Amino acid sequence: MRQPLRLRLVLRDLSTAAAFASMAISSQVPVWALVLFALALIVALTGRRPLARAPRLTALLLLPVAGLLYLAVASGQMDLVVAACSFAGIVAAQRLLSESTAATDGQVLLVGLLMIAGGAALSGELVFALCLLAFAVLASLSLGLAVVEAAVPPGEPVPVRAVMRPLARGTFVAVVGAALFFILIPRLSWNMGVRRASPGLGTATSGFSDTVRLGGSGTLKSNPRVVLRARLTPDPVDTEHLSAYWVGRTYDTFDGQEWSTIGAAKQRHRTRVTLRPGADKQVYQRIELLPAYGSRTLIALETPAKLGNALTHTPTGDRRTRLQELGGDELRFVDDGLGYSYEVYSLPPGTDTDPGRMNQTEADQLLALPENLDPRVEQLARRVVGDEKDPLAAAQKLSAWLQREYQYTLELSGDLADPLEDFLFVRKAGHCEHFATALTLMLRTLGFESRLATGFFGGERVGEEYIVRAGDAHAWTHVLVPGRGFITVDATPPAFRTNQSIQILESLVSLYEAIEGVWRTSVVDYSFRDQLDFMRGLSRPPRDPSSDEQRPSGPPARAWWTAGLVALGVYGLVRYLSRRPRRSPLGEATRLVDAVERQLTRAGLPPREGETLEDVSARFTRDAHPLGPTLAPLTRRYLEARFGQRPLESGERARMLEDLRRALDTWRQGSRSNAP
Amino acid sequence: MNSPARATPALSSPAAARSALEQVAANLSLAVRGKEKEVRLAVTCVAAGGHLLLEDVPGVGKTTLVEALARSFALSLSRVQFTADLMPADILGAQIFHAATASFSFRPGPIFRQLVLADELNRAPPRTQSALLEAMAQGQVSLDGVTHPLPRPFTVVATQNPVDFSGTYPLPDSQLDRFLMRLSLGHPAPEVEARLLVLARDAATAGAVVDPVSTPEALNGLRAQVAAQRLDDTVADYVVRLAHATRSHGDIERGASTRAVLALGMAARAYALWEARDFVTPGDVRAVLGPCLAHRLLLRSANQGTYTRDEALHLIEEIARKVPAPR
Repeated sequence: MRQPLRLRLVLRDLSTAAAFASMAISSQVPVWALVLFALALIVALTGRRPLARAPRLTALLLLPVAGLLYLAVASGQMDLVVAACSFAGIVAAQRLLSESTAATDGQVLLVGLLMIAGGAALSGELVFALCLLAFAVLASLSLGLAVVEAAVPPGEPVPVRAVMRPLARGTFVAVVGAALFFILIPRLSWNMGVRRASPGLGTATSGFSDTVRLGGSGTLKSNPRVVLRARLTPDPVDTEHLSAYWVGRTYDTFDGQEWSTIGAAKQRHRTRVTLRPGADKQVYQRIELLPAYGSRTLIALETPAKLGNALTHTPTGDRRTRLQELGGDELRFVDDGLGYSYEVYSLPPGTDTDPGRMNQTEADQLLALPENLDPRVEQLARRVVGDEKDPLAAAQKLSAWLQREYQYTLELSGDLADPLEDFLFVRKAGHCEHFATALTLMLRTLGFESRLATGFFGGERVGEEYIVRAGDAHAWTHVLVPGRGFITVDATPPAFRTNQSIQILESLVSLYEAIEGVWRTSVVDYSFRDQLDFMRGLSRPPRDPSSDEQRPSGPPARAWWTAGLVALGVYGLVRYLSRRPRRSPLGEATRLVDAVERQLTRAGLPPREGETLEDVSARFTRDAHPLGPTLAPLTRRYLEARFGQRPLESGERARMLEDLRRALDTWRQGSRSNAP
Repeated sequence: MNSPARATPALSSPAAARSALEQVAANLSLAVRGKEKEVRLAVTCVAAGGHLLLEDVPGVGKTTLVEALARSFALSLSRVQFTADLMPADILGAQIFHAATASFSFRPGPIFRQLVLADELNRAPPRTQSALLEAMAQGQVSLDGVTHPLPRPFTVVATQNPVDFSGTYPLPDSQLDRFLMRLSLGHPAPEVEARLLVLARDAATAGAVVDPVSTPEALNGLRAQVAAQRLDDTVADYVVRLAHATRSHGDIERGASTRAVLALGMAARAYALWEARDFVTPGDVRAVLGPCLAHRLLLRSANQGTYTRDEALHLIEEIARKVPAPR
C-alpha cells in the first residue's frame, strides 16, 4: 500500500481535534480523557501511528473502558452525556493512532461528528460554533483530498495544490452561503433540545445561595467574568467606576458558621413587586443578568423600591417571567433561563427609607446572636465603641477600626469551628464576609439592630452601560437607624471592595464577553423578527424619535442603494451563469451509453479501464463475441447521436436497451448451458 | 499539408468513400502482406492529404508499399534516393540556360510528380531535407522568385532508416512536424515471410503485381470528403485536451504543436471513413493518435532511436488512457 498523503492526515487529525475541543470547552469532560486525547493527537501529528500493529487488541481494550464508564454512570458519578462524550474522545484517540486506511479515515470523521453532537449537547456557545466551523472546514478539505488521492494511480504525485485551491474556495463559498442562509431565510428555532449547562468560559461562579458560609478554601474575588450589565437613568456620565452597592439579598441569622434568613417565601408570583414606597429622585436601571451570573436572584442598586418587567432569555427565545418574594428582601425569577433582563427603580443612597414590612420575629432576629459566641467579641466591641448611643455613629466607629486594624486577604481560612473568633483574634485577616460579619455581630452585641447584605460592589463604565464582574461580589452591613431605615456601613477596606483580578485578564474577558454578546444576540437569539428587522433596515432608515419631520416622499436613499446592490448581484450571477459552458443537449445519448455500460457490467462484461463503448464494441467485433452483432449497431447509433448530430428519436433509447437486455439474457443462458 | 483541389466535388457518400478506401487497402495488402493495420493507416494518411514518414530498417517493404500506393491510385511517381551529396536542385529542378536563345528555362525536378518517394531521407544533409519543406507545406516550389505549383494530388512519402544507423542526419523538427503520420512496418510474421519466398519466384517485384483500382481524381474526391467530415465540438475539445496533456506531461520536453492538433483532426476525419461515417468519434482520434503524435514529441530522456519511438508511443497510450473521452 502506498504512503497516505501527510497533509490529508494532518487535516483529518486537526478536524478531530476541533471536534474534541467542541466538547472540551464545556469543561465537563474529565481531565483524564482530555489528557489521553491530547497525547494521542500530539503523537498522531508527528506522523507516528503506534497502534497500527495491534488494531484489534487496542480496539478490544476500549470495551473495558466502556464498561468502567457505564459503571460510573450507573453509580451516578458521571453524567450520561459526559460519559458518552469521553468515550467518543477515547475512540477517536485510538483511531487516530491506528493505521490510516479508508475505513479508519471514515471512522475518524464519524467519531468527529459524534463528538460535535456531544459538544452541542454540552454547550452551545460561541467557542462551540468556532469548533464546529473548524471541524467542518478541516474535514471537508481532508475528505476532498482523500477522494483525489484515491483517484490518482499509485506512484503518481497527488496534485495537492490544484485540489486545495478549488476545495478551499468551495468551502469558503459554503461557509459564506450558510451565513447568508442563516441571516436571510426565515426560520424556526431548532435548538429546542439544547442543554444549557454552562456558559462559554466554564461554569457560572457567582451563585447566590440561601446561606453565606464563612470559611471554606480557595480564593475569592479573582473572577473577571461579567455577570451584570446595567443602563442607568439618570446616567452618571462622567463616572468611570461606580461606588455603588448592588444588593441581592440580606441575612439576619448567624449560627456561628453561616448566615441564613428566617423569613419565609411568599407563594404569590407577580410581574411587578413594590418593596417600599418610592421617592422623588429615583434611579431607573435596566439590568441584564448574563449567563455567567448563574443564579435566579434579582440584583439592584441599593435601595430597590420597585422591580418588574422581567424577561428570561432561553435558547428558544425571550419569555416574560414573574417574580417570587423570598425572605431577606430577596426576589427570584420564577422561570429558569440563561440570562434575564428587568427594570428597577431604586432610591438613591442617603435617602431615608421605610425598612419594609417586618413581623416581630423578623425584627427580633436583627439582634440575635449565635449561642456559642465568644464573649471577647462583646468586650472588644464595647472597647472600640465606648458609650456611643447612635447606631450609625457606633457602626462607623467600628467600621473604621476594623479597616484600620485588620488585614484584607483573599485566602480563605479553611473550615473552622468558629471562623469569627479566628478572624478577630487569631488571623486578624479575612475577606469581605469576615469584615461584614464581624461588624454586624459586634453591633448586635451592643444592642444595635443590624443585618448582613450580599450582592456586588462597583460598576465599570463600558460605553453607555455599567458592567459588574463576578469578582465584584461583596458583603456588607445594614444598620437599622430609627426613622431613617437601614443604612449601609461597609467594614471592608475600600481598596478591596471590587474584584481583585488581573488587569489584562479583565480586558481579555471583556473582549470575550463582547464577542459572546454579539454572538448571542446575532446568532443564538437571532429570530424571525430580527430577520424582518434586518430586511426592513435595508430599505428604511432607523426610526429616530428626536426628528419629528414629515416623512419625505418617495423611498429613501438607503432603499435605492439596496436595490442597486441587489441588481448588481443578480447581474453578476446571470453573467457568471451565462458564461459557463452550456451542458450538451445530447444528454439522451450519454444516458444511453451509461445504461448500456450498466447492463454490460451487470452481465459480467464490464468495460476495461479507459475503454469507451466504442472500444468495447470494437473488441467484441474483433473477438467475434456473440454480443458483437447486437452491440455494433447500438454503438453506431450512439455515436451518431452523440457526435454526428442525428439525435435519438423518442423511445429509441428504450427500444435499443430492451434489445440489448434480451441479447444479454440469451447470451447468459447460452453460456450457462455451455458450461459443464 | 496539401489542401485538396477546391473544384473537386466530394464523393457521393461516406459509404462510397469507404469502399474506395477498402479497395485500395486490399490492393496494397497484395503487395505488402500481413500488415493490414499499417496499410490502413497509410491509406488514411494519403486520403487525409498528409505526407507519410516510413521509418524502418531496410528491406521490410517500405518502397514496395509506396510503389503499390502510387499504382493503386494511378499516381505519377518519382523516386529520389537521398544521399549525402544530394543538392536541393536535384529535387526541385533548376533554371537551365539555353545558349541558342540566350534565355533561361525551368527544368522541373523529380518533385513535380503526384507521389514523391523520398527514399532514405535522413541520409541527405539538413539543407537538402529542407528543400522539401515548402513543397510539403504549400504544394508549390519557389525558385529564383518564381512560384511553380505542384500537381494535385501531391503527396510525399519519405522513408528513413532508424536514426542510430551510421551516415544519417536526424530530421529537423520542423521537417518532422510536416509529416502527418510516422509509421513503421516492422518485420513480417514468419509465415508471411515464407509465403513471400514462394511468391518471389513469380514476380520480380511486388509492386508490379498490383493494378490501379482508383484514380488521382478519386483521391482528390476522397480528400474533399475528408475535409467535409463533421468534427463535433466535444471531440475537438478532446483532441485539444489530448494535445495539452502531452504539453504538460512530466516526461515530455516539447509536446504537440498546433499543427499537430490540426493534423490529428484531419487524420481522425479520414479514419472515420473506414466506418463509413461522416463524423468523427473519439475512437477515430485514438486510432490515429500514436502515428500522428509520436514523431512530434521531444522526450526528456532524449536519446534518439528505436527506444524513444517505443517510449513515445507508450506515453501517448498512457495519455489516451488518462484523458477522459467525451461520452
